[in-house]
Amino acid sequence: MADILDILELEQPSAEISRDSIIHGDKVKKKYVTAKAVKRPEGMHREVFALLYHDNKDLPPLLPTDTGKAYKQTKAKLGMRKVRKWVWAPFTNPARKDNAVFHHWKRASDEAKEYPFAQFNKQVAIPSYSESEYNQYLKSEDWSQAETDHLIDLCQRFDLRFIVIHDRWDRAAFRDRSVEDLKERYYGICTTLSKVKTNPWSNTVTMVNGEKRIYHYDAEHERKRKEQLRRLFDRTQDQIDEEQMLLAELKKIDARKRERERKTQDLQKLISRADSGNLPPLSQVNNNNEGTSTPSNTASSIARRHDRKLHKKKITTQQRPVRAVESVTVEWSGIKFPEARGTGVWLRSQRMKLPAGVGQRKTKALEQELRLLNIDIAPTPTEAICKHFNELRSDLALALDLKNALDSCEFELQALRHQYEALNPGKTLTIPPLISNMVGDNETKPVGEIIDVVGSPSALNSTI
Amino acid sequence: MSGPNGMLYGGDEIGALVFDPGHHSLRVGYAQEDTPKADIPAVVGTVSATHIPDAEEKVPDGNVTQTGSKTGGELRHYIDITELHVPRAGMEVHTYMKDGQVDNWDLFEKMLDYCYAKVIRSPSEHHPALFTEAVWTTRPAREKLAELLFEKYQAPAFFLVKSAVLAAFANGKSTALVVDAGASQTSAVPVIDGYALVNAAVRSPVGGDHLAAQAKHMLNNMHIQMLPLYSIQSKEVIRERERGRYTLKTLPAGLTVSWQQYMLKRQYEDFCHCVAQVSESQYEERAAASAPFSHYEFPGGYHQDFGPERFKLTECLFEPTLGAPHLAALLEASSSVGAPVLAGLSPRGPSLRLAARPPWGSVVACGGVASAPGWLERLAKELAARAPSSHRLKSHAAPNSTERRFAAWIGGSILASIGSFQQMWISSQEYDEGGKGQLERKCP
Ligand SMILES: Nc1ncnc2c1ncn2[C@@H]1O[C@H](COP(=O)(O)OP(=O)(O)OP(=O)(O)O)[C@@H](O)[C@H]1O
Ligand SMILES: [Mg+2]
Repeated sequence: MADILDILELEQPSAEISRDSIIHGDKVKKKYVTAKAVKRPEGMHREVFALLYHDNKDLPPLLPTDTGKAYKQTKAKLGMRKVRKWVWAPFTNPARKDNAVFHHWKRASDEAKEYPFAQFNKQVAIPSYSESEYNQYLKSEDWSQAETDHLIDLCQRFDLRFIVIHDRWDRAAFRDRSVEDLKERYYGICTTLSKVKTNPWSNTVTMVNGEKRIYHYDAEHERKRKEQLRRLFDRTQDQIDEEQMLLAELKKIDARKRERERKTQDLQKLISRADSGNLPPLSQVNNNNEGTSTPSNTASSIARRHDRKLHKKKITTQQRPVRAVESVTVEWSGIKFPEARGTGVWLRSQRMKLPAGVGQRKTKALEQELRLLNIDIAPTPTEAICKHFNELRSDLALALDLKNALDSCEFELQALRHQYEALNPGKTLTIPPLISNMVGDNETKPVGEIIDVVGSPSALNSTI
Repeated sequence: MSGPNGMLYGGDEIGALVFDPGHHSLRVGYAQEDTPKADIPAVVGTVSATHIPDAEEKVPDGNVTQTGSKTGGELRHYIDITELHVPRAGMEVHTYMKDGQVDNWDLFEKMLDYCYAKVIRSPSEHHPALFTEAVWTTRPAREKLAELLFEKYQAPAFFLVKSAVLAAFANGKSTALVVDAGASQTSAVPVIDGYALVNAAVRSPVGGDHLAAQAKHMLNNMHIQMLPLYSIQSKEVIRERERGRYTLKTLPAGLTVSWQQYMLKRQYEDFCHCVAQVSESQYEERAAASAPFSHYEFPGGYHQDFGPERFKLTECLFEPTLGAPHLAALLEASSSVGAPVLAGLSPRGPSLRLAARPPWGSVVACGGVASAPGWLERLAKELAARAPSSHRLKSHAAPNSTERRFAAWIGGSILASIGSFQQMWISSQEYDEGGKGQLERKCP
């Protein structure tokens, strides 16, 4: 500690450092500091302040100085314990097949144990077959054994990353194959072998209720899916424009059709009314309207009018629920997933993307909730899953918001209670249990049980 | 490295070295540090011993490496700026790189000698060595390097990683499209789960060297003379665009052309670094004229403001010139390669989940030229114009220019100090047993 004390220009404790001298020794220091201390103006950084003021008010040295004394004295003792030594020690790594010895820093006191990072040495189980097994079960017209061996070798080397396998495929020795071809062959082999051999491969065989389920790879479906994707990505701007133009045309045609239907209906009504006698004034208005929309009228104006009409309809239908909601002032904020985005075809998985308005924190919270429920955070987007998944997340978001609101209400309630009790000493405010969330243990339990029912307990344990 | 409750965090450093050889410079340093210890020009100066005057012979410890004694035909080697940038009679400058890989192994050996002796200052047999390589490095070159490290330098362990992969790691990505704008070329390499797609990589020979050549061309056209800096004794302060007034130094006779050209190239590069700016969109006379000027003083004392020239200069990186495939086309090519990759990314294997995001989604930029102001923005713009409309594109690059330039080295530094990486090294035992044939298997 001597050099630190020197720097601070504090008196050196003469006695050996002991617990006592450290605990009580700072009394002396405090006096010293308070005598001279200049108060740091609020908002000024400590570092800036230190440049302006220090104990003996002279400028900091421009050149590094060495007093010659400080470093030669006893070493700094910063803790009560003795420092533990670090040593540059050899180690072997059980994840390595050779017994190579490398060196790293470790505490001399730490006893030798297995290299901790070896636990990350995880490997994918890839099936193997003997020559006779190949001939018996795996012969294929399309694939030679050499090619199959090459595939299995690459699968092993790249841990089933088929994109990389496809990239490193030995095109000199074998013909070029698509990713789907490779996958089809690989999973075919897995399927065949897991039928005839007893050892299951963790990645293709799952046991469901004691029954073997083998992963089936649908290559044809995959090929089609990718072809569709490729076409989607390869659209040129012209094609996109054309598509949009066609969609607009379709809308116009629809509008025209509806207009015509409406007209025939009106006409029908007119005829039936004419049959029964006098004309009501309303139909005259209608008639007038029809007068302007002679065949020479452009389709666009029809469409526009149609739009206007739709708007009116929307407004009238919307008005009622709004009034009903007014009485309940809960600000509900689930997630609104936007409908179809972009032009033309799009990937269904895009529908599951959280809209941009959802903040990072909320996203994290949602993911956490999903994990607790033991639900995949990016499930395969089928139509039904998409819909339910979005609804679930919207509900979850709402639940989270409500929980937050409840928490803040609760907090306010408690704060008010404390305030009340402080203003009226001796009295206690009993909050009716109906509005209090702070209930006894016996009442919270069922809630916990409900949660447990939803997510399996084992999942809860593993994720926490 | 392991904390309470059995959690494992941090890395485990084993004293490994990281080497990142490039056309412009070789970066070398200890793994786990944030910048390389040295950034050495990738050239070696040689003087045949007969040229060396006796006076110089007596210098006890220059950073000169010498082969053998001073007999006929022996060469003296000069490495690193302090030795190389001194005018010496008869010093030829050679590069050991060719096409992104080491070509002249004798010179490269001299360079490694220098690294161990003067930069690392520690025996090579104590340090595992991790080298970066370009994706198109040929098998003989890789094997030769392994052989050199194990047999000559007795390295305890050795590993080779593609520089694109490391650049992605340095930016915290394992899946990305890595655009590396280096000195000799610009390349785009898709990286998936830490593996570079070798056959999908594309490159064009337009890089920092081309930019320097362009600068030379431009200054020539403007009738501005780039005098060699080493030839100037003194210069006077003059007004802008006035003729320079300077006195010349007396130089030793017999300066070689290769050395003079090398020195001039460094000056043109300096000019580029100070002046060059990439315009946001395609070069336009009017927009460029309104941009702020940049002042540059040449070695002879002549100085002037550069305005639109700043943008015109860098346009060659994005426009087709001299028949070279330009960057935009390059990226187009990689994008058409990217599309099947992208399509291949979304399906899942039964248990193994492939990265959910295609490399398009994250573009990582690195290399020296990428640190030219405006380059990244322009790249993002050019890419966005070519990406499928439904794709959100995100480009990443380290915020400061040193980190961009050293991205591959930094990635190597990170990788070599990760505890779980320590099982990947090819140890000298393995090399003795399996020979260099296993390189293809062990270093993907
Ligand atoms: N700020 C800058 N503006 C423009 N160019 C720059 C800048 N900084 C560096 N460069 C150029 O970048 C190049 C060096 O880049 P880098 O170090 O990535 O190349 P390298 O890895 O040695 O070469 P290669 O990748 O081609 O083998 C040089 O040509 C240098 O002139
Ligand atoms: Mg490079």
